Parts: sequence; C-alpha cells; structure tokens
Amino acid sequence: MDSMFNILSLQNKIKNSRRESRIINALLILLMVIFAFVIGSAQISALGITPGRININYEEGKEVSGGITIVNTENKDIDVVIIAQGEFNQSVKFSEVSFKMKSSEREKRIQYTFNMPSQLSPGPHIGEILAVQVPSKTSGGETSVGATVAVATQIHVFVPYPNKYAEASLDIVSDNLGKITFVIPVINRGKLDLVRVRANIDIYGNLNEKVDSFNTNQVEIKSGERREIAYTWNSNVTSGRYRAVATVLYDEETLRLEREFSVGKPILDLQQIEVNDFTLGEIAKFEMLVENQWSEEIKGAYAEMEIYNPKNEVMADIKSQTYDFSPLSKKTMVSYWDTGGVKKGIYDSSVYLRYGAQSTQKDFKLDVKEDSITAIGVGYVISAKTKSGSSTTTILLIGIVVLILINLGWFLVLRKYMHKKK
Amino acid sequence: MEINKKIIYGIDFLIIVGSLITLIVMFGYARPLVIGPIDNYNTTNNSVLFTFEKGKAILLDDNIEFSSPQRIFVENYLVLHLEPGKYYWKIEGALPSTVRTLTINSIVDLKLRKIEGGKEEYEVVNAGNTQLDVDIYHNDNLNRTLVLDIDESKQVSGEAFVGRQNG
Repeated sequence: MDSMFNILSLQNKIKNSRRESRIINALLILLMVIFAFVIGSAQISALGITPGRININYEEGKEVSGGITIVNTENKDIDVVIIAQGEFNQSVKFSEVSFKMKSSEREKRIQYTFNMPSQLSPGPHIGEILAVQVPSKTSGGETSVGATVAVATQIHVFVPYPNKYAEASLDIVSDNLGKITFVIPVINRGKLDLVRVRANIDIYGNLNEKVDSFNTNQVEIKSGERREIAYTWNSNVTSGRYRAVATVLYDEETLRLEREFSVGKPILDLQQIEVNDFTLGEIAKFEMLVENQWSEEIKGAYAEMEIYNPKNEVMADIKSQTYDFSPLSKKTMVSYWDTGGVKKGIYDSSVYLRYGAQSTQKDFKLDVKEDSITAIGVGYVISAKTKSGSSTTTILLIGIVVLILINLGWFLVLRKYMHKKK
Repeated sequence: MEINKKIIYGIDFLIIVGSLITLIVMFGYARPLVIGPIDNYNTTNNSVLFTFEKGKAILLDDNIEFSSPQRIFVENYLVLHLEPGKYYWKIEGALPSTVRTLTINSIVDLKLRKIEGGKEEYEVVNAGNTQLDVDIYHNDNLNRTLVLDIDESKQVSGEAFVGRQNG
C-alpha cells in the first residue's frame, strides 16, 4: 500500500513539475515576445506633419495664420521641437516651440502666424516649418534610434511679377471614344488681370505635317488666379504618335507649349486561328493571324493560349515565340499544343496577345475532333457601360409630358368649354 | 354665374399649384442623392469612398467650372484613390447633384528603422501620401538628398534625416 502511495505521489510530483516547466516555458516565450517588441519598437523612429505644403499669394505686410498637425506615427513618447527655417525664419511664430507627445497622443495641432516680409522680389520664395523629433533616451541612458528625424511643411509664397505674366502647362486627356481633350491650366502670376486668355493648338503628325488646328475657349483671369482653357478634339486620324503645339495668347503676350501624345492604343488584333494537318494525339500547330492596328512598330509580342478542361481548370498553357510587328501589318504567330491524352470534345480557350505592359484577350471554344481543330465563337471580353439613371430620366420626362398635357387640356380646352357652357 | 367663375378659378389654382408641387417632387426625386463624403471633407487618406443613389457617374475636377472633369461611370459607391489636392465633385444622373468639395492634405511622414549591426545604418521609409525629398546629414553636413516614392524604402547611413514634399 505504501509503495503504491509512493508511486502515486511520485507520479503527482512528475505531473506538477511538468506543469511548472510548461508554465515557465510559456512565461519565457511571453517575456521574449515582449522583449523583442520593446527592442523592435525602440529601433524605429517616425514623425509626420500635415500639410506638406502651404501656398500663399504675396501681399506685403499681411499676416496669415493657420495650423499644422504633427503626427506621432509610431505612438511612442516623443519630444518635438518646432523651428522656422529658410527665407521666412524671422517671419513665422508658433503657438508652441517644443512639447512632449505621449504614446496615446496621435496628433498635435500647432498654430502659426506668418507676417509677410516687405519688398520681396517677384517670383517664388520658400520657407519651412520644421518639426524635429529629439532623440530620446532609454532607461539605460542610450538613445533609442540615435539619428534625428525631422519633417517639414514648406511655405511657398509667390510674389507677382509687375506686369502681365502667365504660367501655363499643357495636359492631354484621351477617352475610349476617340475624343482627346487639350487642357491648359493658366496661372496669372502678374499684378495685372488678364482680360483675354485663349490658345491656338496645332497638331502635327509623325512626318511633321500639320494635321489639324483649332482654338480653345477664351477666359478672363484675375491676378493670382488659376483657370483652365480647353478644347475637345474628335481625332479622326490614324492611330499613332502626334505632337501638339499650343500658343497661349494672353492679351498682347504669347506662351508656347508643346507635348507629344498618342491617338488610339497599340493594339494587336487576333483575326483568325487555323490548325492544319492535325491528328488527335499528335502535336497541333496553331497559326494565329494577328494584325498590328497601331501606326508604329510593336516589338517582342507573343501569344499565350490557355485551354480549359470541363472542370474549368487550365489543361494546357502554350506560348508562341516573340514577334516584331511593323506598323499596320499582319503576321502569323505560331504555337504548338501536344494533344497526347486529349479527348474529342469542345474546350474553352483564351488567347492573350502580350506586348509590353499590355495584353489583349480573346475567348473562344476549340472543337477538337479526330482529324481537326476548329476555333468557334471568337469575341472580346468587354465591360458593359452602366445604364443606370435612364429609367429616372424616363420617369421625369413622362411626368413633365403628363403635366404639360393636363395644363394644356385644362387651359386650352376644358376651361373654354366651361366658359361657353355658362 | 359667380359660383361657376369661382369653380373655374379654383380649378386654375389647383392645376397651377398642383403642377408646381408635382414638378418640385419629381425634380427632388430625380436629383441624385449624395451621401458621402460630406461637403468640405478634409483628410490625409488618399482613398475616398463616394456613396450616392440615383446617379450614374462621378464628375471630379480641380476647379468648380469642371472644365476638364474626370468622369467615372459607377453605381452607388466607389473608392477612389486621389492625389493630395482640392477637388470639386458632383454626381451625374437624370439631373446633376449639387457640387461638393473635398481636400486630400499631403502628409509628410518619415520612418527610420535602425539596421541591426550597422553603425548609423538605417532603413528610411516614406510612410506619407506624397513623394518625398529626404536630406541626409552626416557630421552636420548635408551628405545627399534621396527621392522616395510613397511606401518606398531605402537603406542609407546618416545622423539626421529631414523629409519634405518633393516638387
């Protein structure tokens, strides 16, 4: 009985010691995780500031006030110092110049007052509000990261030029319907208002021949303002590279802008797929007739064909070699499919024509027979344009028509009839 | 006689007022219901959720004249990733909605991660929403300036790092 008790007691001791060791192990792991986290977080230093830039139009002696936000990105206890530097270091004052942010404090708003100095020369002037994170000390007396991190909000002040002065750029936006919009944002950087601002745009082709010419709308731009002039061009020209030369006319002055743009997109079009001299179980040679619809050369294009089994899994992924297409030309791309083990039937398939960063997809079915393969139902995958809103318009139109009819019916017919009846 | 006249004028009044009320109700119904973001929305998050009803497209531009708008065909909601700046936007439907503004404030956010074993070796990360110029100082002298795209990081050595909006 004693020996039995001893054995049970020993077993209990072993169990307890195992439980203890498990607890110790768990505690050790927990400590290691906490240590790694503390060390890891001590190795990172971060600081943010918003906005990154403040744009101000110059007015001599004017006081401008606003706020900047310092962001404690890493949620740590940090010390921050605010400094003005650059051209306006004597002109900017802050509500606080140094402060602590606790780990729980995500953001801190600082107010600034900027007194615009007198007699600044025309043109851009830049100053900075700098937020500097002071390297903090750990309990051991060592710095956490060691390096200093600072972030800046730039103060951009533009002093207008004495007379008429415009700054402009040319943006070209094209849509899928062949319409190209030429947008010219114009900033009046002069002291005087610009009464008539418009642009004439000439379009030149690849051989430097003038293709078209047109004028934008005309606007008035007050001193310091930014406005846009634009023209939407229906590009009834072959696809390819073109050059736009815009002459911005503002009162008596001119400004020339130039930019290249593309009409259409480099498109390779799969027109036909043929498999000749085929026997099931052997290698099928796919001949794909592809047209380059782009008026420039496309280099390094290849075809990738995926064939799917009835479970919609890719059963074959075959690629052609690469081909170079001269402008507006057709070529036959060849790829091979080993049909060993393939059964007769209809298989879904997709061909991707890949060139540069682009690719064109065509989906079809392959009718595989004993001695032939036929591609059926070729068609592009296109996204349908939403038709939402048309029903509301219809309801609105019907409602208006009904109202008009009621009003006309009453005032022109029924009312007169009732008068006559009297 | 007088009663008949009164009836006719009464019907005149009913038809005119009824037509006006119907028009107001119909136009109110047809105008897109813009839910979000609220007017004068300010954020440093480049991703903005647009939510609306009875509209077919979002029109977005940097000027209130919508002289070169970006037109995005979408139904009910869409998250757009926008560059920092001020935007004017409205919803196109059977009728246009009112114009709202939103501002994406640029945030300059610089993160420094010490590389283990390296003396003054750091991984500098652009954690903000705008491209950064990072000045790297060594012995109190400007050593070099680095350009970092959004979320880009580079390993460099230095003692002080100053990040500011590029361009």
